[in-house]
Amino acid sequence: MIGGVFIYNHKGEVLISRVYRDDIGRNAVDAFRVNVIHARQQSRFPVVNIARTSFFYTKRSNIWLCAVAKQNINAAMVFEFLNKMIDVMQSYFGKISEENVKNNFVLIYELLDEILDFGYPQNSDTGVLKSFITQQGVRPVTREEQTNVTSAVTGQIGWRREGIKYRRNELFLDVIESVNLLMSQQGQVLSTHVAGRVVMKSYLSGMPECKFGINDKITVENRTKNTTDSTNATTNPNNGATNPATTTKTAIAIDDCQFHQCVKLSKFESEHSISFIPPDGEFELMRYRTTKDISLPFRVIPLVREIGRTKMEVKVVVKSNFKPTLIGQKIEIRIPIPPNTCDVQLLCMKGKAKHKASDNAIVWKMKRMGGMKESQLSAEIELTPNDKKKWNRPPISMNFEVPFAPSGFKVRYLKVFEHKLNYSDSETIKWVRYIGKSGLYETRS
Amino acid sequence: MPNMRGDAMRGLAVFISDIRNCKSREAELRRINKELTNIRQRFRADKTLDGYQKKKYVCKLLFIFLLGHDIDFGYMEAVNLLSSNKYTEKQIGYLFISVIMNSSSDMKQLIIQNIRNDIQSRNPIFINLALQCVANIGDREMATAFTNDIPRLLVSGDTIDPVKQSAALCLLKLHRTSPESLQLNTEWTARIIHLLNDQHLGVATAAVSLIDALVKRSPDEYKGCVNLAVSRLSRIVTSSYTDFQDYTYYFVPAPWLCVKLLRLLENYPPPEDPSIRSRLNECLDTILNKAQEPLKSKKVQHSNARNAVLFEAINLIIHMDCESSLLVRACNQLGQFLQNRETNLRYLALESMCLLAASEFSHEAVKKHQETVINALKSERDVSVRQRAVDLLYAMCDRSNAEDIVQEMLTYLETADYTIREEMVLKIAILSEKYAVDYKWYLDIMLKLIRIAGDFVSEEVWYRVIQVVVNRADVQSYAAKIAFEALQAPACHENMIKVAGYILGEYGNLIALDPRSTPMIQFELLHTKYHLCSPTTRSLILSTYMKFINLFPEIKLHIQEILRHDSNYRSSDVEIQQRATEYLRLSEICSPTVLATVLEIMPPYPEKQSPLLVRLKQKKPLMEADTSGELSTAPISQSDDGPKLTDTAMHLHQQQQQNGLLVSLDTTESNGHYETSASSSLPSSFSSSSTALQTNKKFLFKNSDIIFENDILQIGIKGEPKKSVLHVEFYYGNKTNFNLTNLSASISLADELDPELRIHMEPVQTTIDPRAQIKQMGTIECLKDYRDLPKMSLSFFYSNVPQKIDFLLPVYLNKFIEKAEMDSNNYFLRWRNLDKPDQECQKIFAAKFPMSHDACGQKLEGFGWSNLHNIDVNADNFCGAGIFHTSAQQVGCLYRLEPNKQAKMYRLTIRASKAGVASHLAELLEDQF
Repeated sequence: MIGGVFIYNHKGEVLISRVYRDDIGRNAVDAFRVNVIHARQQSRFPVVNIARTSFFYTKRSNIWLCAVAKQNINAAMVFEFLNKMIDVMQSYFGKISEENVKNNFVLIYELLDEILDFGYPQNSDTGVLKSFITQQGVRPVTREEQTNVTSAVTGQIGWRREGIKYRRNELFLDVIESVNLLMSQQGQVLSTHVAGRVVMKSYLSGMPECKFGINDKITVENRTKNTTDSTNATTNPNNGATNPATTTKTAIAIDDCQFHQCVKLSKFESEHSISFIPPDGEFELMRYRTTKDISLPFRVIPLVREIGRTKMEVKVVVKSNFKPTLIGQKIEIRIPIPPNTCDVQLLCMKGKAKHKASDNAIVWKMKRMGGMKESQLSAEIELTPNDKKKWNRPPISMNFEVPFAPSGFKVRYLKVFEHKLNYSDSETIKWVRYIGKSGLYETRS
Repeated sequence: MPNMRGDAMRGLAVFISDIRNCKSREAELRRINKELTNIRQRFRADKTLDGYQKKKYVCKLLFIFLLGHDIDFGYMEAVNLLSSNKYTEKQIGYLFISVIMNSSSDMKQLIIQNIRNDIQSRNPIFINLALQCVANIGDREMATAFTNDIPRLLVSGDTIDPVKQSAALCLLKLHRTSPESLQLNTEWTARIIHLLNDQHLGVATAAVSLIDALVKRSPDEYKGCVNLAVSRLSRIVTSSYTDFQDYTYYFVPAPWLCVKLLRLLENYPPPEDPSIRSRLNECLDTILNKAQEPLKSKKVQHSNARNAVLFEAINLIIHMDCESSLLVRACNQLGQFLQNRETNLRYLALESMCLLAASEFSHEAVKKHQETVINALKSERDVSVRQRAVDLLYAMCDRSNAEDIVQEMLTYLETADYTIREEMVLKIAILSEKYAVDYKWYLDIMLKLIRIAGDFVSEEVWYRVIQVVVNRADVQSYAAKIAFEALQAPACHENMIKVAGYILGEYGNLIALDPRSTPMIQFELLHTKYHLCSPTTRSLILSTYMKFINLFPEIKLHIQEILRHDSNYRSSDVEIQQRATEYLRLSEICSPTVLATVLEIMPPYPEKQSPLLVRLKQKKPLMEADTSGELSTAPISQSDDGPKLTDTAMHLHQQQQQNGLLVSLDTTESNGHYETSASSSLPSSFSSSSTALQTNKKFLFKNSDIIFENDILQIGIKGEPKKSVLHVEFYYGNKTNFNLTNLSASISLADELDPELRIHMEPVQTTIDPRAQIKQMGTIECLKDYRDLPKMSLSFFYSNVPQKIDFLLPVYLNKFIEKAEMDSNNYFLRWRNLDKPDQECQKIFAAKFPMSHDACGQKLEGFGWSNLHNIDVNADNFCGAGIFHTSAQQVGCLYRLEPNKQAKMYRLTIRASKAGVASHLAELLEDQF
């Protein structure tokens, strides 16, 4: 049970302080400031225990968010709550900054009252919250709205209210994946995984029921088995032989996944089908993780040569490794250089490269890069002699965005059924988009 | 700082404000990284940086360093700044170097060179900068580098006063940090002393500090300073405050210089020369007089400065300890301070009075203030002042006022602060014992003490009570009586129970006739307390019960019952259980006469220094050194004076208790004991300088052995044969706690002209540290067969006494024998070939050891040659072969050993291809089976 929530600015001044339980005193605010924000040694633990009180904190830009608890509490729950709180605040007033927090402190207290009750997290769904916490000042609430709110909060489908109507029934589906990679100097993949999210924006009337199909290995195999059985039984036996070959190519192995609360888990367990009644507006339908058969969009080939004590040569080649028709965007390669660098000469064929002294790195940016292309940067680095410490060569990291899912994740279908209102699946307009982003995409040099 | 505004560094200001504005640690780090790269670029690219820029970047680096980041470059630029001609640049250079001085030695040489240039320059500002830097770094290298330059500055006629001042202080700093590397030329002594006479008071003040430090190192060399110091002091003291304009501090003329001069004089005994002495006395007198004058200012600084001089003067008076009039005056002055409103003054007065009380002249004068001190003890708010009051009471106590003081201290003890209670208890115990006229009074006080502050009574205190009782027969019955009475109190402190238990056990019979304290009542009273006590006390009480069995046989059954009781007989505490069991058995099986001898009354303890004083000294090693001076003249050698049970049978029980005790007392005795035992062993073993030890034959069968050992040295050998060459390692182990020095070892051959062995030893380390071992390696090559063993002689110094050891090196012929394997046919073929008379040797000898087949076989194999089975038809016999290697030739050897178990005899036959070898080998083996 969370005892209190505090928000500090970068100097450790308290912006928001909300205490939910008696066991948290006012001095807890100072304890956190003294022991974490102003600590001489930067604290690296997300949970700090001071005087038998646990402090759970995250930092967004220059703002510290801290939840306090005296009891033994589920830490994962607290962090989920903190992240949710950040989401809620962002959807209300945009970026979390000292300025914004100060300007909206009444709203934040209102939100904190709503989403935590005596330290127990409550409904933190932005859509629902927005229906009764508004920024337009006080307005008279009609009886109807009141009942709507009540039923929304207490009803079976808490995330969607009734009576929504759109002229155009539209839905947007974004598959956003971030690729994490650690590659050795020789190009050997040391570790890789993809963390993906499916985000949906729905503008649908009524209470539609959706069915979502993906190329997950298990569901696909189930399906093909069924179909082959049926085809075998009927006419074309050849068809059955070709089908598995195509499925193995397209199906992917998902290591684990989790769904939004609207998804009916019982159906997923029994039939491996994802069916749900979506909330109105934007929400995250599912999260998943894969580790196998990941197509790495870029390959970085570093070549570092130390010439004597005062000179170093770095050559970095980047190869894009996807269909030539696609285009990668926002490519940024960060090449760490020794701290005793005094000057850097750069030469690159494409994009812009800069020596960022403040970060001890060369940053090479390219706006876009087509598939199956190659680009190169070479740098001459002058050093001041330093015998004391050997430079430990941190890995080269990379950022990018590509218009496909590196894990091979595919949306197979999304069907919408609405029984009461008369629009059919084929009338809804659906948009699907794949975005592959870089997570921690590193190559050792 | 001249003209700082003119070249204020804007870049630096911007950088610092940037850093101050950083919102997070990361941002700060980024800004610093950027700046560092920038500075690197500047320092590298344009070699033509002007002084201003260099200064600016060095400043930035310094700032970054002070923020806690590592700086690994820029030293060269900072050193360059040193040779600049601008003050600000030079200053920054020196600042950087004094803050970050960790670079390599070549850099250091450069810096020292630069500093030297500045010191030798004509510009006083530069000289002062350089001196400051030297003082700030102040390490050994600096001290050695400037051991001549700085004193020269100090004494030369043409340096200006501020430079002299700095030079003196710089020298002082170097002297403090590395006195051993700072060697001052003795020619300068007189001139340094003469600085006391310098017209400039600042120079004189700086010089006094330096001289004070130098005097502590070599008092004789600087003896001349006394004269000058006294005259300087008198000049200051007698003059009016208006004479020293700059050096008058709130109407007190040059107080710092005065205090330092007085301190300097405290290093020496009172001056011999009567004129100087009278002049000094005059000075002190004047200072005391001045203290009587009304204050010239209400400001606290004025009185502080005046009192500082006064207290230092009183310290000097106490130190000289010869002018009774001055001592008494000082005492009176301090007496005035005792009533002062200032707590600090009262504290200081009490502290100084403690010292005065120790002096014979002023002891009486101090006693006059007894009333005031006791009042201070009662009414003082500050605990540290009260503590000083206790100290003073302790110091001023003598036979005349002991009873009062002890009484006062006892009363105060009840309300005293917890931190000083234990010390007070010790002091009361010491005083009451030392000045006791009547030991009954002493016992009363002690029992009262235990009652009032039982928790703070350390073991030593009650041990001492018992010692006193045991040693004084006249108080024993009184002791038993009051101990018994004390026990009757409903709540007794455990220490009281211990004392009472012990005393009743020894002398309970003395009060047994009184109907109020019959044996049974005594026993029952003691037993009511038994269960409330800790295990150690319980075991003590068990001993008391045992003594009761001896004293009062009528209650034996009760006591046996208690001993038999499960809580004792099966106690979880080993000590109690053991005592209960053993006492019970003792009481059951021993006749009354035996019991009476075993449980006899304790004999008197040998009189030694009271353990209480030792304890007090441990607590406060410094404070008490003076006050108890007369007592501490007694030798410190000290042993445990705790109560003991006479009987040896109970010795075991006691030992545990005693051990715990011994540790808390001093350990000098045990150390001393060790030393004497170590040195006494010397003459016995080395009275004859060369003792040829009998050669050890163990090495015959093994490859490693101890070949020599006495109380000082142990020599081990380890050999590894390789055909005709034996690799040897000697191990010399120092068994003493002292260094063995000038060690040399040599090996001489029996026949130098015709060497049989070629010996090569590697040089050996000449010193062996205490309890350490060193190793010497070498090779011995056999040139031909030999009979006489080489002689090893070893010489070394043990505590500066030369020692020589000679012994035979047990490198026998067999070390060069290599195993040879062959089958039966081969063996007999060779055996038959060696049939010349000088090739064979046969010995018949009686068995010296039990005739074990295996042991013999092992010995023969250890000897070096093979032990071949299945050759002789008789399985009991041993046959074997070996090759004796010399560098020139190889000699084949065969042997046959036939044991005769009935006759307990052996017959050994050896045949060797070279004449003489066989007989020699047979001689070696003759008496080994």
